[in-house]
Amino acid sequence: MTTLLQPEVRHRNSFRRRASARTALSRTLAVVIGLLFLVPFYYVVVTSLNSAGRSSSVSDILLPHWQWGNYARAWAAAPWPRLFLNTLLIAGATVLLALATSLLAGFAFGVMRFRGRGLLFGLVLAVLMVPSTVLIIPDYMIANDIHWLDTYWIQIVPWGASVFGIFLVRQFFLGLPQELFDAAELDGAGRLRMLWSVGMPMVRPALLIIALNVFMASWNSFLWPFIMTQNPDVQPVEVGLAAFAGVDGTDYPALSAAVVFTTVPVLGFFLVLQRHFITGAMSAAGGVRG
Amino acid sequence: MAQDIELRRAGQVPVQVRPGRVKRARESPMGWLYTAPALLIFSVFIIGPTAYTFYVSTFHWNVLNTAMSRYVGLDNYSALFDSTTPSFLSSAWRSLYFSGAMVIGGTAVSLALALLLQRGGRVLGAARVALFAPHATPIVATSLAWVWIFNPQFGLADMLLKAFHLPVSQWLFSPTWAMPSVIVYSLWHEVGFTVVLFLGGLAVISPELGEAAQMDGANAWQQFWHVTWPQLRPVTLFVVVITSISSLQAFTQFYEMGKGGPVYATTTLSYLVYQEAFVLFDTGYGAALAVVLFIVTAAFTLLQRRTGERIADAG
Repeated sequence: MTTLLQPEVRHRNSFRRRASARTALSRTLAVVIGLLFLVPFYYVVVTSLNSAGRSSSVSDILLPHWQWGNYARAWAAAPWPRLFLNTLLIAGATVLLALATSLLAGFAFGVMRFRGRGLLFGLVLAVLMVPSTVLIIPDYMIANDIHWLDTYWIQIVPWGASVFGIFLVRQFFLGLPQELFDAAELDGAGRLRMLWSVGMPMVRPALLIIALNVFMASWNSFLWPFIMTQNPDVQPVEVGLAAFAGVDGTDYPALSAAVVFTTVPVLGFFLVLQRHFITGAMSAAGGVRG
Repeated sequence: MAQDIELRRAGQVPVQVRPGRVKRARESPMGWLYTAPALLIFSVFIIGPTAYTFYVSTFHWNVLNTAMSRYVGLDNYSALFDSTTPSFLSSAWRSLYFSGAMVIGGTAVSLALALLLQRGGRVLGAARVALFAPHATPIVATSLAWVWIFNPQFGLADMLLKAFHLPVSQWLFSPTWAMPSVIVYSLWHEVGFTVVLFLGGLAVISPELGEAAQMDGANAWQQFWHVTWPQLRPVTLFVVVITSISSLQAFTQFYEMGKGGPVYATTTLSYLVYQEAFVLFDTGYGAALAVVLFIVTAAFTLLQRRTGERIADAG
């Protein structure tokens, strides 16, 4: 018995040793690559703390010299608090609107049955085909006609419906046991009641994923607000940053400081919720199969 | 789908339930009302405007006085092929250059990284976060950081090349290297997201097949090529399609990293739409460019939907 097993065991041990060596190697590689991806972050922070034109050696550009004045200069150059407030307001309102429209439409497509449902859902999917670069010309004209240029409205309402959001809510509803709704109907619940007290608690994970995606997309958008607004009173922070870069493009330390303090909030938001971002994207890919 | 629900419900509903009562709440034309807010937004800001773009593209559009616009038929489209600087064809080529590099480079790199990071654990989890972090940053902000990295006088890229006694480059100031520089930045920004998509694909493939292949003595490469890779085909297609669509639309990094220059070296179709419509105010011509961009994007989306359906049929 033992003699029979021995070669097998020995083989397995050497296999295990080889496997653990490979694990160690791939871990090291992963750490190195992860750090490489972080180098630009480190570099922009260092640049924001150095003085301009002082970069003659590698150590000069890779070590900070603690010139906090760069931050004061950058902060004084634009109405940053206003711009941040605008971004938060626009992103927050867009999220609320997108959640409401996705929940209602997702409920209708996933739970309700009505004539024309397939047609309307096809229309929603067709929207995916239109890139925002195509829309920028006609939507600018429309915004001009309805006097929405230079307002919060043009930055919120057009992004207040999300194909991804509707699709996700619908998928969640389709995945729920239909007896849930049967029971609610037996209790005499109306549609809104059914959506609010039965559906809503069940689709909460989907709503979180939608909220995160819409929030980040709104915060990071540039072309749209850049074309649609001129007035810093309603402009988001990224447009303000681009304007600052256009004017003070050569003051790299101050520009880097502005890059740092405008990016830290959104990056912090990501880091706190990174688990949800990553599982959200992963589930999107896992769903590709079916 | 509706039939499916119908059947399931038929099996589950207790017999004593009066079907009429159950029917009323969910089976109702009120569905139109529930979808109305979303569909209204789509109609006003996406579907209508897309049709309007076709309309505008047949005019010599007068920005200051719309009533003065002149119908020119397909003139804006024929102008695509004889317009001077930068020509439509050269911009289309640069869009293809950028998108091709993003699709091929991005897919290969992110697949390799996903395979490296697919095992769990704290170290690999932290590496995933590090790779994904660039994707969470605004393109305006981080492309500015990379402009500084690529600066030929003070930048990190040339400083490192000098340290290793390698030939330096003008990067964004060189017509040859400007596009590769933007591609490097864009890969840095996008790859984390596609890595996670591949990780999602790897998480749902069956481990048994790989184990069986290992038992049969397949080495790591054979196992990847014959077992893992075929199972990742759906996710790969998804990654290829969304990367092509998003790279065709890319604008911000081109605006920030060189305003389409030097000498139009980074003027892609999307950038040209912006430039014609909002810098040169040739709105009709810009609309014609937008229509071309729309047709290309729609083709990619339909391709994705068709392959998606095929996958659903197979599964």
